[in-house]
Amino acid sequence: MDLQILAQLSAVGLMMGALYSLMAIGITFIASVMKLINWSMGEFYMIGSYVQYYLIILILGPERWYLALPVAMFTVFLLGLVLQRGLLAPMFKYDEARRFEYATIITIALSVLLQNLAIILAGPYQWSPREYLPTATFAGLSLNGSRLAGAIGAAVILALFYGFIKHTMVGLSFLGAAQNRLGAQTAGIQLARVDMIAFGIGVGLAAAAGALLAPVFLVYPTNGVISTVKGFEIIVIGGLGSLPGAVAAAFGLALVESFGAFYISPAYQDLYGFAFLIAFLILRPQGLFGERERRV
Amino acid sequence: MSRWWAASGSVAIVLLAGLPFFLNGYQIQVLTFGYFWVMLGISWNILAGYTGQFSLAQHAFATLGSYSSAAAVLALGLPPTVGIVVGALVAALLGYGLGWVTLSMRGIYFAIATWAFAESVRILIAVNPRITRGDMGLPVPFLFDTPDPFPYYYVFFAASMLTLLLNGWLLRTRVGYRMRAIRDDQELAVASGVDVVKWKRLVFMLSTALAGLAGGLYGHTVGLLSPNQAQFSQMAFVIIAVVLGGFRTLWGPVIGGLLAQGLSEALRISQEWRLVIFALLVIVVVRVYPPGIMGGLYVLAERFRRARTPRSTPSPPAVSESLP
Repeated sequence: MDLQILAQLSAVGLMMGALYSLMAIGITFIASVMKLINWSMGEFYMIGSYVQYYLIILILGPERWYLALPVAMFTVFLLGLVLQRGLLAPMFKYDEARRFEYATIITIALSVLLQNLAIILAGPYQWSPREYLPTATFAGLSLNGSRLAGAIGAAVILALFYGFIKHTMVGLSFLGAAQNRLGAQTAGIQLARVDMIAFGIGVGLAAAAGALLAPVFLVYPTNGVISTVKGFEIIVIGGLGSLPGAVAAAFGLALVESFGAFYISPAYQDLYGFAFLIAFLILRPQGLFGERERRV
Repeated sequence: MSRWWAASGSVAIVLLAGLPFFLNGYQIQVLTFGYFWVMLGISWNILAGYTGQFSLAQHAFATLGSYSSAAAVLALGLPPTVGIVVGALVAALLGYGLGWVTLSMRGIYFAIATWAFAESVRILIAVNPRITRGDMGLPVPFLFDTPDPFPYYYVFFAASMLTLLLNGWLLRTRVGYRMRAIRDDQELAVASGVDVVKWKRLVFMLSTALAGLAGGLYGHTVGLLSPNQAQFSQMAFVIIAVVLGGFRTLWGPVIGGLLAQGLSEALRISQEWRLVIFALLVIVVVRVYPPGIMGGLYVLAERFRRARTPRSTPSPPAVSESLP
């Protein structure tokens, strides 16, 4: 009986872990390449969930939700390209400190803009597409169909992303820019283009999380807040800019939340992430796998 | 030159002091809350604009100030005036603590740490309904017995102007130069003998005390506290107001806070459209003209002054660097 509960809690934690990874990878990827924190990440998650919802409702129907997913990702990818080129690329004319302020102010304003535009355009209502899969029972565990589908989708997307980063020339140029921008530039990599595409991919991953979680966390103008919050907690715990760290921290946080909600109190579920975040910032600012920032 | 600015500043203060006599009760109330944004904006500008500590917790310290004041009034039976002071002190104390913890953090990490602190404050207030009444809201006594908006306006006005004067005075003292030295180049500041550790913490404490003061005043003016005061959108509004008015300028937060509040009222459109417009304006300002309204006024005044005295025309310094 007790083992049953443990298995159930672990299953819930692992499924959420895959989805949390998706939320965090985009943030940490953009941070590693462009050296900025995107405070409007949750709004791209929100747009992804809306595109997914409207495609399912208006065109594709609830059975073919998996066809809507790539469209939602690609739409947000294109939006990301445009916004990066128009608003964020100019930040590189400033020095390091001002660049950070510029990016923070712009992305916070962008977040306010997109959130309120969503309220105006779509109304302050909560929508939900039908469950992606029926509830599955496996070895006595009952798994929510949408979460299971979301976790599988997230795993596939993360695997594709990993393959793209590690095994294509374009992907390697992102890694190069992340390691040393000047060095990458010297090697003939066009940083402006790399930044733009990296930003597009990062927000595209957030949109994928929004699309996959549409039946679970619902579709409404401020649904991206949870994605921003979890994403930031995870990237600090995992180490800013570290992709394996983000995945490890995502699963860790999801498991802690799942067990904590059951054994301690569900009311405090949202606080665990902040407690870990603050503890890591104080005791181990480089995170689980991150490298300590070096200064001259 | 500085005399010219002092004169126009004084005129602005006199105009603001006389403003309520030309407005109806509702408009006075709206403007009163504008001063809340002015105070938060100035306190944030001291920290982020002049010391380079881009904090995202100003709204949380205001919330802590208002809840601490409420605790002092409701639990200890102190009058609201004393409660507001208690609120500012509690905010200062917690600010000193957070400043101590975040001392070695820079840029992104500092911003995330302060943001996490603010979110934790909001959640802690919301999940302890037996103490704070959570999302139901906590009724607190009003500062005055009368529903007349005049006394509230002048209390907020006086507090804002004192905050403004404090900021202006600070910039002329050695502390002000130390702050800007830390902002512009921390290593160089250390090398020049600035005790960075000490001054960062003290400025953080001063800034959070001002935020706590604003929050305490706000609580006893509204009469109902809510954890929503610590929502991130509140911090976003502070940043929007300051950037519109002029980041890193003395009068920027005053212009921005009153303008954001006044325009909202004058435009008579929904909250969402207002925020969309303000956010767009901020993006345009940061992208095209970072010095903001105050920076623009400064350039205009310079041009006007040079037109009148054509002989002494040294080339104008870059706007963002030469502002007071």
